[in-house]
Amino acid sequence: MKENIIKWLLILIGAAFLGIMLLLPLAAVLVYSLRQGFEVFFLAVTDDYTVKALKLTLFTTVISVAVNTLFGVFAAWGISKFQFRGKQALTTLIDIPFSISPIIAGLVFILVFGRIGWAYPLLEAWDIKIVFAVPGIVLATIFVTFPFVARELIPLMQAQGSDEEEAAALMGAKGLRIFRKVTFPHIKWGLLYGIILCTARALGEFGAVSVVSGHLRGKTNTLPLHVEILFNEFKLTAAFAVSSILVLIAVLILILRNIVEYRVKREER
Amino acid sequence: MYVQLKNINKKFGSYQAAENISFSIEKGKLIGLLGPSGSGKTTILRMIAGLEEPDSGDIYIDGQCVNGLPASKRGIGFVFQNYALFRYMTVFDNIAFGLEVQKKDKEYTKQRVNELIELIGLKGLENRRPHQLSGGQKQRVAFARALAPNPHLLLLDEPFAAIDAKVRKELRTWLRETINKVGITSIFVTHDQEEAVEVADEIIITNTGHIEQIGSPVEIYKNPATPFAARFIGESMIVEDYGRFSGFELEEGYEKAVLRPEFIKVTRTDKEVYPHASQRAIIEDSLFRGNMLELRLNVSGIKLVAYRSLEDDFLAVGEEVSVLIYRLYLYNDTQVRLAENKSFQASDIFTI
Repeated sequence: MKENIIKWLLILIGAAFLGIMLLLPLAAVLVYSLRQGFEVFFLAVTDDYTVKALKLTLFTTVISVAVNTLFGVFAAWGISKFQFRGKQALTTLIDIPFSISPIIAGLVFILVFGRIGWAYPLLEAWDIKIVFAVPGIVLATIFVTFPFVARELIPLMQAQGSDEEEAAALMGAKGLRIFRKVTFPHIKWGLLYGIILCTARALGEFGAVSVVSGHLRGKTNTLPLHVEILFNEFKLTAAFAVSSILVLIAVLILILRNIVEYRVKREER
Repeated sequence: MYVQLKNINKKFGSYQAAENISFSIEKGKLIGLLGPSGSGKTTILRMIAGLEEPDSGDIYIDGQCVNGLPASKRGIGFVFQNYALFRYMTVFDNIAFGLEVQKKDKEYTKQRVNELIELIGLKGLENRRPHQLSGGQKQRVAFARALAPNPHLLLLDEPFAAIDAKVRKELRTWLRETINKVGITSIFVTHDQEEAVEVADEIIITNTGHIEQIGSPVEIYKNPATPFAARFIGESMIVEDYGRFSGFELEEGYEKAVLRPEFIKVTRTDKEVYPHASQRAIIEDSLFRGNMLELRLNVSGIKLVAYRSLEDDFLAVGEEVSVLIYRLYLYNDTQVRLAENKSFQASDIFTI
């Protein structure tokens, strides 16, 4: 009886906390965005700048996720399957984006590629623009999201060990075949999970991107930045309408994540 | 000689895993590399396989020097200690893997894999995944997988370590018979002397990176070449003051002796036959070992273990008995020597 009370109390506290801190604000976004009717909502969402911002966000996300997936697989492979000096250091380095404030991540790119940066003359000579342009946004997003895939894979691949790879290599299989036949089947769901988390983060990245973007409407404005601009201009309904796009994508990703988690659990059994 | 190692040295940091290892193996033999953990036996196996490179020395397989040759080009099959089966592949795909890598044609691969599945007696389980197999079945699959590409040499790293005791005995016999049937030269590593004695045609005893003795199991059992071999093979007891035993004298230069339970004959005092060669002892404990009794004896302060058949008269704990010791292995740091009971006539030896 007593245990039952504690059980329900704990569940209640958890649910109440999530309700007040998460569900209520998210619901508020949707409610607020629809307060002036569907027409206003529709106008805000189909606004030229909004569409452009959405396109830029998706473009940035696709590239960062692709790059980080590739990087994450290589880094996890290297760290988990080989012995080398500085392995611990490399593992720690991968975590840096988790511990550094995104603003600083953005500033780093300004300091390197910006007008005051040491790489600037070189970029100037080749006529490449990074800061306050799309490449800078992509770079900043890659920086902020690069631990996700690697972090997901390293423990998984370490647990698998390298015996199977060694056995395959002994029979004369080459790297690509070993990866395809032995390593990949083991990590595929973990990889997908990492990609999903990475996507979610890349879509919503604000801090680092805000620093390097320059906020040029229709050019270097991502969706989160666009929301901020609308908000600062007191176009509250529009701001919430655009936010609802992000919320919608987030919910979709959440559902996807749950499906993957379910599959992983079933696979493990 | 089919496989030959010449002056192989290997160090891991300051740890000498192999020191001047040289031996050769005849074609078709089943060899056991036996030694305690850390004796360098697995390192030797991995060097033959090409999974480790020796610091110096040469390895020959079938007359060809394989130094620097990658593992996959040496024509060997390797059975890993934990089998390292591909867990996301079926039994069939596991065995077929090596053939697919070699781009053998599909018809041949299928036929060869089925032949091997037949050989290991797992017909009907082709589509199982490794986690759906028992330990013994996994080992058989690992064995078949290693054999599939027709290697010249089969290497097995602790092939029975991961299997529970009951299945292990059965598998030993199976492995020995199957290797004989296939006729492949094989080397296996083990720390279990019973296993080595039972399975191998020839045993190589390793200790702290060097070889102690090479020989057939019976040879090593009867004539241990080094103190280590004497202590390591059989159930050995080490005795310091062996001069106290009737029929033996302390010998200059040999401070200790090894004896085995089967060197000891226990009789009731009233049935004592060779009083000059025997002495009295007290039974401190008697343990039932399933097919015999294990007696813990106190021979004037020296503790010994002896076996006694269940068919013999019952001896109670605390009883005084007569103990006859047939022989001892005397040893010092470098030498070992057999000493027979001097008061005991050679013509009266029992078969033990």
